[in-house]
Amino acid sequence: MDIQKSLLHNPQFQFGAITFFAKQHKGDTCGSNGLPLTPNSITVYGRAQLLKIIENPYLCQYIDIIRGKHERTVVVSQYCGKPLTACLNTDNLNVDNIKKIAYQILKGLEELQKRNIVNRNLSTENVLLMEDNNIKVFNYGLYYMTGNGQYVAFPVMSVLYTAPEVYLSKPSSTYSHPKGDIWSLGIILAELVINKPLWNSLKLGQIIRKIMSLLTANGSVFERITREHNCYEKYSELPADLKDLINSCLTVYPSNRPSVQDLLKREIFNNIAPSPMKTKSKVCKPFQNFTIMEFYHWWQLAGGDVLLELKKQGLIRTSPPILSLPKAVLMDGNILGLERNFNLLYDPKVVLMPLDTLYRRFSHIPLSSYYPLIHINSDIIKKSEPPQYDASNLPLVIREKDPEYQFHRTILMRRLLHGYPFTRNLIIKESEKDIPPLLRGNIWAALLHVKGDYEKEYAKIDKTTPTPTDRQIEVDIPRCHQYNELLSSSVGHNKLKRILKAWVSKNSQYVYWQGLDSLTAPFLYLNFNDEAKAFACLSSFIPLYLHNFFLKDNAAVIQEYLAKFMQLISFHDPTLANHLHNINFIPELFAIPWFLTMFSHVFPLHKILHLWDKLILGDSSFPLHVGLSILTQLRETLLNSGFNECILLFSDLPEVDIEQCVTSSLKSYNITPRSITYRKHQNENEKNIENMDEMGITVQELNRERCPRIHFTDVVKLVNEEKAIIIDIRNPTQFSRYAVRGSLNIPFSSVTFGSPVLESIGPHGATLKNNTEKVVVVVGTEDTDLELFPKFLLECKVSRVCVLHGGFNVLLPVSPTILYTPNSPIL
Amino acid sequence: METTIAQNICLNLPLGFTEVEVNVSNDTNIEELIYILINDNKVPVYLEKECYKEIEKHLRDHVDNNYNLVTDKIIQDAKSNTIDVEEIIKEWEKMIREETAEFGEKVCASDEELFALAYHKLVHSPALETMLQLEHTYAQTIRHRVDERDRQIKSLSDIQTDEMTKAVDRLEDEDMNERKINEIAARHFEDHSFLRVQLTSELETLKEAQRREYREWIMQILEQNQAKGSLPTPKSSPLSPSLSTVMSFREPCGFDNDLQNLYLNEESFTIHLGSQLKQMHNIRVLTADVIDLCSINETCLEPTPQLLQTSLALYSNDLSGLVLLTDPVVGTWFTTGFSSICQRSTEFHFPHIEDQYEAINNVIKNHLKDGNSKLLQPGDFYITRHSNLPEVHVVFHMVTDDRLKSADINSRNAVILGLRSILKVACSYDITSLTIPLLLQYEMTEEMTVAWCTKRAELVFKCVKGFMIEMASWGGSDLKNLQFLLPRGLSHEVFQSLTAMLPSIFKVSNPLILKST
Repeated sequence: MDIQKSLLHNPQFQFGAITFFAKQHKGDTCGSNGLPLTPNSITVYGRAQLLKIIENPYLCQYIDIIRGKHERTVVVSQYCGKPLTACLNTDNLNVDNIKKIAYQILKGLEELQKRNIVNRNLSTENVLLMEDNNIKVFNYGLYYMTGNGQYVAFPVMSVLYTAPEVYLSKPSSTYSHPKGDIWSLGIILAELVINKPLWNSLKLGQIIRKIMSLLTANGSVFERITREHNCYEKYSELPADLKDLINSCLTVYPSNRPSVQDLLKREIFNNIAPSPMKTKSKVCKPFQNFTIMEFYHWWQLAGGDVLLELKKQGLIRTSPPILSLPKAVLMDGNILGLERNFNLLYDPKVVLMPLDTLYRRFSHIPLSSYYPLIHINSDIIKKSEPPQYDASNLPLVIREKDPEYQFHRTILMRRLLHGYPFTRNLIIKESEKDIPPLLRGNIWAALLHVKGDYEKEYAKIDKTTPTPTDRQIEVDIPRCHQYNELLSSSVGHNKLKRILKAWVSKNSQYVYWQGLDSLTAPFLYLNFNDEAKAFACLSSFIPLYLHNFFLKDNAAVIQEYLAKFMQLISFHDPTLANHLHNINFIPELFAIPWFLTMFSHVFPLHKILHLWDKLILGDSSFPLHVGLSILTQLRETLLNSGFNECILLFSDLPEVDIEQCVTSSLKSYNITPRSITYRKHQNENEKNIENMDEMGITVQELNRERCPRIHFTDVVKLVNEEKAIIIDIRNPTQFSRYAVRGSLNIPFSSVTFGSPVLESIGPHGATLKNNTEKVVVVVGTEDTDLELFPKFLLECKVSRVCVLHGGFNVLLPVSPTILYTPNSPIL
Repeated sequence: METTIAQNICLNLPLGFTEVEVNVSNDTNIEELIYILINDNKVPVYLEKECYKEIEKHLRDHVDNNYNLVTDKIIQDAKSNTIDVEEIIKEWEKMIREETAEFGEKVCASDEELFALAYHKLVHSPALETMLQLEHTYAQTIRHRVDERDRQIKSLSDIQTDEMTKAVDRLEDEDMNERKINEIAARHFEDHSFLRVQLTSELETLKEAQRREYREWIMQILEQNQAKGSLPTPKSSPLSPSLSTVMSFREPCGFDNDLQNLYLNEESFTIHLGSQLKQMHNIRVLTADVIDLCSINETCLEPTPQLLQTSLALYSNDLSGLVLLTDPVVGTWFTTGFSSICQRSTEFHFPHIEDQYEAINNVIKNHLKDGNSKLLQPGDFYITRHSNLPEVHVVFHMVTDDRLKSADINSRNAVILGLRSILKVACSYDITSLTIPLLLQYEMTEEMTVAWCTKRAELVFKCVKGFMIEMASWGGSDLKNLQFLLPRGLSHEVFQSLTAMLPSIFKVSNPLILKST
């Protein structure tokens, strides 16, 4: 139990939140594209995403960015240990500790510098000392996420620790360099050596003046600081290497101040640098059961609410809006009589999030649940374990919100993903249940066969050279799922543009069609920090579901697709098909954007994700079933509408219940024989039915035939499973020679196609009328008319009608045969 | 100075292979750049790593050198006092003080905020009914006094008119001449003003006393409420008739015929905006007089339910706003009707309407002092706050002019743009219900033909729709309810043609039809 406790109660798995307001745009300015400016909080939100992927032992990990109302931004970040300020005035730190702290801060800074991030906020308060005497730097991304301070009104800095050249370059400057952070490190180390806060009693202005006065110091700045704090003896007693280190950090001229790399090379750190990890496997990355990201996700599901916590602990203060209204607003953009709202000021306070609820909620989970792939053979042990948590019968939206269920799912899926590609089959199996939202991006990538070297592949593609499609891409991007914060941020726009350009340049046989942006949006949303993966997913998604849809002349592909769609409607819902046929409301009029974007243009992101969860598991015919299920949901309205109403209805798709849509499309997908939805233009790799296109059904034929054709392999299967009613429309003589077992003979010539009533085909009419589940296969020969009879059945509202492709003769060579010789000819 | 530094780097590739010039900036993805180089310049693949190092080093050196150069210079300047360090320090100090809570002024919650908190808490407690009753009785007293004042003034006017008529009739007589008539007129005017001032001032005093008493009472019951958890009844006060007498008259007043006739025509719609994520809004179109819309049914002995709504939402994040068209003078005669409605009961929360006007006037005067124009322009608006009107908390007084009567105004018209600013304020200050005059006129006039009305309604509908779509990205609160007001004189046919236009402009939600099966 202790191991389990330490798994969950990891001292590093603690987090806190800070909050600030982004600057409001002044007046009513528009962007260069004529569209309204993106609010600064969204820009900040987009920029901050990058910080979430920085993992370094000496940096607190960024976990979440939350955008509140009225330009508020909340940043959730790992926060473990105590700020170094708590160590001042105590005897906790000796010289070796200080050296180690210096080393670890430098390592953290090195990581930031690699990513072109300047900290600007380094202070004793923002360095957290953990119980194991290691440190983590906190709040290092504020300057970066606010675009070097330009999106916020307050200065991003720590007054005491800011380098003199930063002060001299004025508050409005956004110019910055990592060398400023080296100065801050110097001050921190000086503070630790002196063992008390510097210039504690001075006021704001005086502190800045003090720092500026250091400019004119002759000799060592550090020495001067120690003298001012009456502890010169500490300076003189200090080991030469540390003294030297602090002195070089506090060099006035940045040109003489050493860089992070220079400092890390110094001898002083020789004994501190940890020896490189021994025998780390090159193949496998180190594995954690779960990360702080998952931990935070569960915390949220278990009722954790960052905004509420901030409110409770007084960091979010609001006054009723009616009290702060301005007095007048003029056309020139001037707002008069607005009182300063002190609640908008920046408060660097960190609010720690209480974790007890989560601990309690998960306390009963046995250790074995953390290792779901370990199977236990012993019955005794098995019995002692509590039964598996089961929520699989609950609706998907509830499962996604259930902390315990998500715990099990995430742990399991993380395990399986770690074994990808060897575990792909298991991943597919588990994904059929559901996909945990937190890992969706990775799971999709696994389901879409994304290969290991996708990053390099992507890097090699030219995404910068201008192309003729750039203009269209530029126009489409600011209109693509802009209600989503990630996709509406400038970082998001840029990423989307790069992926689209990469796709265009990689697929020269295709052209950019409007809609490709919507198609990319879900992948980018899920892999926002991994453009390459988003691109890789898109690249394998398109050939699977939209093979050749993006050809310059895609008319043949689209027309075949839509004709198949219409046939599928006839197959499952004759009444609706007849109605649509009669009012001439053909799929060309509404379904092209559905299929061209795989519904990503008509649904909001959260619905697309659930839809695609299933889509990615199905083959290229699945979208047809989705289309069908949308129509089914709107069935009543459609049946009661004429052409004009239908057009109006689809000009803006009404709300569709997505869970119902997914279930019903899965249902129709599972009961439809594959050859029904077979298309000539589908991807070659997927064609596992031979001979189907030997006859070469043309689009004209497809459009004329209102019922789909079925391949004989499917017919054989259906007959063997007794799931088919075979209607043989050959003449009785032919029928008596050979016929399919159990087939009904309704000679074509015997039927009068007057009015669409089943009674007119004789006694078998009743059988068809009572049929609800079986597939009705019309079998004829090449000489018989194979259009008129199925059409008649359709008009009689017989569902599941299809025609055997190739006629009766294709059944002759089938072995074992399904044919027999009827004893006596039926009259 | 920018953070990104673009520069051309001359890349000398090892082995003397080739020499290329590349344009690099801070944001350049070096790895991708190299692949482009390899492609375009036929650089051998094995030089990839060296290229990377080379470019990275160049870039870093350049950034470093640039920083060193710039900062060394300013430090040198500071040392030699060629730049004013003190000035810079002051600038930093000011910014830090103004924008950070750590060094900024420590502010406690203002009286206004404390009272707001107390009121909001109590109004959402069982005390609500008592509070509303008390407010109602206070209001009745004031209304009574206002009517009494108006009656006295009127009777004085009548007497004076009478006297004047007689005097004029006697003008032919000897004892009467023009001088005397003027004297009478002057005396009348003086008496009249005196009476008015006297009565109004009495009224003001009463209101002030009521306000003080009420606010004290609120704070007091909050304290008691917190201490005991029970509520005291308000003591009866000379400022209002005793509660018990009022409470005994418990007659349901509900909607009587008057109120139903108030809105001659009205129709509601649920619409949605957005192509993928759909945001629902309610739209109501009605014909009514704007004054009727914010006046209280005074015949009612009970507090009206509309006022309950006002009180509950007053300090919430769901405020109601109203656009009132006016002329460039703050508190003008144009809206006297509105002002007098505000004055018919005590304003317990905000300054009285006249005081609000004055404060607004001062602010505007201060601002316009430097500019050329002394007056507000069309599209400008000022804002007043109210707690004693039904269903309205915030009134946007928007300045208009006669040009609005013309048939050809377009979406760039100042008043239309003013509407956009109003929506922006609404969005920033949680005003989630808003009433807008659809034709931007209150009265039907000759030139307002059917074509004129249709054109105007279409323009306002479309512009407001555009602003609402824009609003979604502002990150404030959404407008939940939007009311479009039409003049009372509008015929039923025109009303219907205007509402018929709405579904073609806004996307009306499809009703969800539940089947009994």
